[in-house]
Amino acid sequence: MRLSWLALSNVRNYAALDFHPAPGLNVFIGANAQGKSNLLEAISLLGTGKSFRTNREADLIASGFQSASVSGGAHVRAGSVNLSCTVTATSRGTRKAYSANGRPVRYAAFLGTLNVVTFVPADLQLIAGAPSGRRRVLNGALAQEQPLYYRDLVRYQKALAQKSALLRSADEPDADLMAVYNETLVAAGTALMLARDRFVTAANAEAGRAHAAWSGGRETLELRYEPNVPYEIPTGEAIGAALAQRLRAAAAAERARRIPLAGPHRDDLGLLLDGRSLAAYGSQGQQRTAVLALKVAEYTVMHQRTGEAPLLLLDDVLSELDADRARAFLEGVEAYEQAFVTATHLPHDLPQSRVFTIEAAVLREIASTARARAC
Amino acid sequence: MPNPGSIAGPVASLINEFSKLPTVGPKTAARLVFYLLNRPRSEAQSLAEAILAVKDRVRLCSICFSITEEDPCPLCTDERRDRSLLCVVAEAKDIYSLERTSAYKGRYHVLGGLISPMDGIGPGQLRVKQLVDRVGSERPQEIVIATNPNAEGEATALYLSRLLVPLGVTVTRLAYGLPIGGDLDYADEVTLAKALEGRRTL
Ligand SMILES: [Zn+2]
Repeated sequence: MRLSWLALSNVRNYAALDFHPAPGLNVFIGANAQGKSNLLEAISLLGTGKSFRTNREADLIASGFQSASVSGGAHVRAGSVNLSCTVTATSRGTRKAYSANGRPVRYAAFLGTLNVVTFVPADLQLIAGAPSGRRRVLNGALAQEQPLYYRDLVRYQKALAQKSALLRSADEPDADLMAVYNETLVAAGTALMLARDRFVTAANAEAGRAHAAWSGGRETLELRYEPNVPYEIPTGEAIGAALAQRLRAAAAAERARRIPLAGPHRDDLGLLLDGRSLAAYGSQGQQRTAVLALKVAEYTVMHQRTGEAPLLLLDDVLSELDADRARAFLEGVEAYEQAFVTATHLPHDLPQSRVFTIEAAVLREIASTARARAC
Repeated sequence: MPNPGSIAGPVASLINEFSKLPTVGPKTAARLVFYLLNRPRSEAQSLAEAILAVKDRVRLCSICFSITEEDPCPLCTDERRDRSLLCVVAEAKDIYSLERTSAYKGRYHVLGGLISPMDGIGPGQLRVKQLVDRVGSERPQEIVIATNPNAEGEATALYLSRLLVPLGVTVTRLAYGLPIGGDLDYADEVTLAKALEGRRTL
């Protein structure tokens, strides 16, 4: 898929922007705080309805204004589609509205139209960081790829929040009500676990392939789904039975400690090098290379499963990588149709690309580089 | 919107009162007030009286907990209504939506909300016990649960069915799915999946 135009109105430091990106690689060069990341953030808002940088959506609105709006036109397999996402300040925070081809749509229908894979410097800490970061990778990819995954995720999270409140509210919470929430957690949780199992199986193959090419086959990278509730075989039936059984077994402890103790909200994604945990034993270099392989896999699996190449958003991350890794990464996702890259300096050895400078929210095209330029 | 300090006190205070109403923002409130300023006094009088009458004369029905002028309410005393059917709704306003369809001929029970422990609302805060008592004394054959198809509506329906099924009644839920006149092409996957779950034999 490809973005053919992008329009911003009162988004962060952009009062107004009308931009027609090229297919292939679009590179934005500029000093910090000129608007490079804001531009990528706006594209991510159009794809996922969310910022990859902040949970405080009020920050997206240019100061002194009531609302920020991003719209754009995309070429997707089904044809072309015009999308928009508007964030409006309210007395209680913000409200978001989405549209597709001029018709208002709910978030669940908006998500998955324009798929994006983002890669930011913070991702380089994914392996050393908390499991929540790795779950976010799984959820982000799966929610874009499968609308029903998003529905199940929301159902699960709402039931979990209600169950937590119920456990906090009384020593002996209403047993029928607890059973109702557990029933929903099993139904939605089973769907999440099954989807994660299949996704990680596919991603493992892709990450392993990319990593083997880089290491010349000397090291073997493995991605492993580590569910909080183990099961025998990855079928809905087996997973559902294991989850229901585990929730029954945990019931007394959950009442005593007044928090939900088991379920896919505690899942993890394990990364292993030659069978050893990268988080525990990997060097910083090994961890970085593994994250690159994970990102290549995320991209490739989304591409394979949706039949369309997602947009690739690389915010300030190429400069964090040495030249070899940066090149290896771009070659790893060579099937991209369109990518957006920000950097403070023009990275060396880029494939054919259009290059823009950004200064105080003004874009200027400076050159089209060919690969030959770096020679 | 005019600066509140620059307009007459009564105008500003009525704008303020209107903006407290649900779905009414300050702009709409100002439009309503300036509309009323241009209408005859009698019209304003009947509006004011209608508002007070709602507060002074309307109370809850002691059987179904709907709002009514007489207790029990006309729906509960109407002998033509089917006693074998009891429809459970979250709020009294939901009765008006269902009655507009003229498709339902049974009686109602208003819960007074939906179960949501996060908001401090458990079964004890709603008229759940009264519902169980009614099922025991009135012996309906079928309970139709007409709560919203959101997370709280779903949990409330599942909870009620756990309580009521053992009492020997049939418990049903409203089906949801595709809007009439809608197009399969335009239905999102989530709506379609719900419609599939609620499919039935022809
Ligand atoms: Zn009544």
